Amino acid sequence: MITANENQSWVNAHAGVALPGADVAWLNEQRAAALAQFEKVGLPGVRDEDWRYTNLRALKSNDYALNSASVLNVELAETTNPRLVFVDGHLDVAASTGLSDSVTSLKDSLAIVEGAFGSTLPIEPHGFTALNTAYAHDGYVVNLTPNQVLDGVLEVVFVSQSANAVSHTRNIIIAQANTQCTIIERHIGAQGSVYLNNIITEIVAGDNAHIDHYKIQQESDDAFHMGGVFINQASNSQVKNHNIALSGLVTRNDIYCNLLGPGAHMEMNGLVVGKGRQHIDNHTEVNHAVPNCTSDEYYKTVLDDHSRSVFRGRIIVAQDAQLTNADQQNNNLLLSKNAEADCKPQLEIYADDVKCSHGATVGQLDPTSLFYLKSRGINAESANALLTFAFANEVIERIKVDRVREELTQILAGELLSGLEELI
Amino acid sequence: MLKVTNLHASVDGKEILKGITLEVKPGEVHAIMGPNGSGKSTLSNVIAGRDGYEVTAGSVEYLGKDLLELEAEERACEGIFLAFQYPVEIPGVSNMAMLKAAMNSIRKYHGQDEIKAGDFLKLIRQKADLVEMKHEFLKRAVNEGFSGGEKKRNEILQMAMLEPKLALLDETDSGLDIDALKIVSHGVNALRSPERSMVLVTHYQRLLDYIVPDYVHVLANGQIVKSGDKSLALELEAKGYSWIEGIDDNQTTAAQAS
Repeated sequence: MITANENQSWVNAHAGVALPGADVAWLNEQRAAALAQFEKVGLPGVRDEDWRYTNLRALKSNDYALNSASVLNVELAETTNPRLVFVDGHLDVAASTGLSDSVTSLKDSLAIVEGAFGSTLPIEPHGFTALNTAYAHDGYVVNLTPNQVLDGVLEVVFVSQSANAVSHTRNIIIAQANTQCTIIERHIGAQGSVYLNNIITEIVAGDNAHIDHYKIQQESDDAFHMGGVFINQASNSQVKNHNIALSGLVTRNDIYCNLLGPGAHMEMNGLVVGKGRQHIDNHTEVNHAVPNCTSDEYYKTVLDDHSRSVFRGRIIVAQDAQLTNADQQNNNLLLSKNAEADCKPQLEIYADDVKCSHGATVGQLDPTSLFYLKSRGINAESANALLTFAFANEVIERIKVDRVREELTQILAGELLSGLEELI
Repeated sequence: MLKVTNLHASVDGKEILKGITLEVKPGEVHAIMGPNGSGKSTLSNVIAGRDGYEVTAGSVEYLGKDLLELEAEERACEGIFLAFQYPVEIPGVSNMAMLKAAMNSIRKYHGQDEIKAGDFLKLIRQKADLVEMKHEFLKRAVNEGFSGGEKKRNEILQMAMLEPKLALLDETDSGLDIDALKIVSHGVNALRSPERSMVLVTHYQRLLDYIVPDYVHVLANGQIVKSGDKSLALELEAKGYSWIEGIDDNQTTAAQAS
């Protein structure tokens, strides 16, 4: 149960931390409003409909501290991509490459993000989102001026290396007309470490902007990851969000997209691989506000052991949004009788000339396919692994950027195909 | 090689096989014919070790071992291969990946090292040529989007790769046009050898024009009601199943309807 005291203790935990832009009026207004919202709603609990399957007791029972800055003390795999490195939510400039006029840190870019900051968020945000706005201390900013193409792939790695750290990172992608970029966010943490990564990415896509956004979550097995990706799309823009959750103790992602200009296209691909006592929530919402937009949502979940997942997929088609074409698929594979997948498709359609389809399945591996593989001499364990990998890899196969797809296939093979990786 | 004695098997409590006795010696090709619902596919599935079939009496001995004691994958490793009537589509697993996993699993079972990547590639290309399969099919997901004929050719490709001692071909001719039937038969005939036995399960005599059996058995109502040489198949083609004693009218009707 949420109590005033509990809320106060969260506010106290952040007291005395110097936040950037203390003299920036618009930011202070947003912070004050967010704090008021937090004091009103507090952290969510199982009594909230959107959180009823999500037990946050473990998260709430821990104390967290917001660090003022940290320096990377782990070694990252080499990459040929430009890469920003955030440590406990703060940009480590020395460890980063790829900073430019277009790629900056939030701290240094408050003037740029005025107007965009907070513009994509829900009107009544939940407690974690409110905390993020109230205490946003850093994040990456990608600001593309009309017709600008950000070459290659920009990687942003968020390393949580300090135990009991909390970070409220706010990333903002402003892609003006006819721009293009591919951005990969990776979330990693020291194994066994407890921390709270409360992170939001806002995407403002201008006319005909093309944005490929990847989020690969490989947090510590004891970590809490509260994530939000909030997107506004103008006419003919195309945004693809790929949400891959492989680790963490409790993960929540809110992925909300407003299609605000005709011809906009949104693609949401999601993959959850749960094991142990992991809990992974994905709440997606596509708001078709205007006519002639399309959305394509494809989420898959693989759950083993005692892991649990929640998928809430909401599609809203406004009365004016004629000729909308929206599709949503959510397929869940349960590998253990103790695993649980809850899925809630929610379609709210107020227009009459639209095409909306959705499908949800929960099941086990197909016994005929298993027998087929076994009848070729493949042992039961390998047959299970191959079919599980194949099920999950269908999400990865939707990725168009070759090197990203290949890398994710390798990561997935490492997770699901132990001993058979050479087959892929 | 294979000795089936008084085999009884049921599915969901319903007895399908009612005392089958059959012996297959090395190098022999046996055809099992019979109307729909006579138990032909059940027999091959029971031998291959598919779940869901309960053996209630009798025995199956294979190379001196009690076959019914082995898991499906162990039977495959011991040299039994089932070409499926309805080959399964496995999205996300390529033909090559599945065959490599299968070959290495079988080699491991026999204490052999994994096949070298180069050797595997050479072999699979050679076998693909045998069944006139384009090499690009090797990289595609197992049977996904394959036509009926391509699926059956893929079964023979797998058989050629895994080199079984006993091959069970379950209705391999069903759904094939004449060209595909020739290709599939050519592949099967190329694999005939004095050490390799085959059991062809088929409804029609047509397949046996191309793959000539040493013995023909007629299965009806869960029992072998007649055995003979290849001339039996021709007789069946001419007269239908109804002239054989032991086939009741219902089954004849079913056979004619199909």
